[in-house]
Amino acid sequence: MSLILDKVSLNIDGHPILKQISFRLSIGQSLVVLGNSGAGKSKLLEVVAGLLKHQSGKISFAGREQDTLSPQERKIGFVFQDYALFPHLTAEANILFGLKARQAPIKEQAKWLKAVAAELKIDHLLKRFPAELSGGQQQRVALARCMVFRPEVLLLDEPLSALDAASRERLALLMKKIQKKYRVTMLYVTHDHNEARYMGDQVLVIDQGRVIQMGKPEEIFSRPVSRFVAHFTATRNILPGRITKRCGDDLARVEVASGELMSTSFPARGEDVWVCLRPEYLSLSDTLPEVSDRISDARSGKLAANFVSGYRIVQIIPQSGVTVLVELVKQGERLLVFASNREIEQQGLHVNSDVELTVDAGQVHCLPRQAEDIYCRPE
Amino acid sequence: MRVTGFSALMTLIVLAAGIFFSSPFAALLLSFATADGFAQLLNRQVLVVIGTSLVTALMATGLAAVVGTVLGYHFTFRKKSGGRWLKTFFSLPLVLPPSAAGYMLLLAFGRYGLIGAPLYQTFSLQIMFTATALVLAQFFVVTPLMMQAASSAFQQVPESLVKASHSLGADDYTTFIKVLLPLSRPVLVAGVITAFARAIGEFGATMMVAGRLKTIPIMIYSKAMGGDAGVADGLSLLLVLLSFLVLLLVNLLGERRR
Repeated sequence: MSLILDKVSLNIDGHPILKQISFRLSIGQSLVVLGNSGAGKSKLLEVVAGLLKHQSGKISFAGREQDTLSPQERKIGFVFQDYALFPHLTAEANILFGLKARQAPIKEQAKWLKAVAAELKIDHLLKRFPAELSGGQQQRVALARCMVFRPEVLLLDEPLSALDAASRERLALLMKKIQKKYRVTMLYVTHDHNEARYMGDQVLVIDQGRVIQMGKPEEIFSRPVSRFVAHFTATRNILPGRITKRCGDDLARVEVASGELMSTSFPARGEDVWVCLRPEYLSLSDTLPEVSDRISDARSGKLAANFVSGYRIVQIIPQSGVTVLVELVKQGERLLVFASNREIEQQGLHVNSDVELTVDAGQVHCLPRQAEDIYCRPE
Repeated sequence: MRVTGFSALMTLIVLAAGIFFSSPFAALLLSFATADGFAQLLNRQVLVVIGTSLVTALMATGLAAVVGTVLGYHFTFRKKSGGRWLKTFFSLPLVLPPSAAGYMLLLAFGRYGLIGAPLYQTFSLQIMFTATALVLAQFFVVTPLMMQAASSAFQQVPESLVKASHSLGADDYTTFIKVLLPLSRPVLVAGVITAFARAIGEFGATMMVAGRLKTIPIMIYSKAMGGDAGVADGLSLLLVLLSFLVLLLVNLLGERRR
């Protein structure tokens, strides 16, 4: 029982927009479609909704073929990026629009309107016109308009992009709650990697109309299959490296400009690699001058961890909340590390402090590097 | 210095244009006042002409409102190959000399015309030189105006609203009635008003198919040529006032939309 897209391709005016898109999403799960502007994310949603006709491939939901169905015949709710609320109708009329179009009995309309308004806490907004609502309120009404006819699939096209940070967090939690409560299959388009991380049971990375990678969020973020995915999912440290020794299939020694690291995620062949180190997987500690670089022995049964000393703090950049981004340098190689304010204060770290870097071997992810790849400096 | 010279030149052109465009109105007002044009309008024959003009223009506008809106919808949302050619074809009466339009209508709907002949032979139905011909001529000229207004009105409706309507389960008809029409209303109403003004003022095409019937513009022409300035003055002033009112309404609607 899944939503299945099988080699779906879309051309508009002779330009390929989607190229052989295939995926399978279990019913009741959420899939975040992550990609740059113009990657084809929104068009993918429109194809699933039947608003655009794909030229080849098949779409099915719970075993029912969707390709021949009109948008009206598919039980799909679509929240547009600009919410697409009808400006001449009140919030209530907007919400009832779908039920009336589907000729739901009047008694049922009132019952469902009441239920969805209570669920989304918009009871007091029903008589207002969209222009009289804030961005967050419009978003709730748009969501209510889709949820009121109990869709089988909910499509959300960058629904949070126009909101302030506080509303974004609140609404993201609400959408996630509703999706889980009603077990609605959800496709959620965004270009924000943070949203992708918490909104999706699965994440699909798309670029130029092609699927680049699909998997669980943690897999996409910690094991990107290409430098594009690594960069797009905010792996801030992508360093050129070289595998100097493979210890079986599980562990390899990889050399970067600032030292040597052990990695448990590396390509089977080739020596030149990109070493991906996510800033949140790196930790800092005050270093002692006599401590030299050391690499734990994975064969001892302990978790393989890398300790690399000799880094100097270049700057400490405050982030949202209690987090700071620390920029380090060693032998001309720069690294970015997330730390907490408290950690920095407790260890007495400041700009020009010498620090030691710790990272699990499991978080050192190596990608094959081609000779023509351009060196990608961290931001 | 260059700026001052440029400003002076601009002012001069505006002044000259002002004098040129206001002179016919001033002359009409002067002639109307001296010939007592208003009294001349209260003549039965003139009132019949005003009535004919109003009725035919209203009918032509009504027809054009429906057909023009449908054409505007078709060319905005049902884009097919060759649509641009077809839209240009339907827009032709906008730039066609009205007398040529009237002549072509004669050829098509006259007693021996392409459509007129079978109509006459089968149903003894004569279209030319009747009020129907006046309606047809005005309809022919104003429908493209309405089509363009509708087209531009529909293009202003955000695409996402149409898509939202479809995704909510509304078919094309419901989307048209519940979403497109209400959101396009101000532009469509402006289009209807402009079409009415154009229909009531239509002269060339109407003249060719009117026969003995008269509309306001035809009467102005015949009275002016016959030296009866009073009626021509009164009717011209009526059309000026009507046109002014129409433009005022269209501008008001435009401001409301903004």
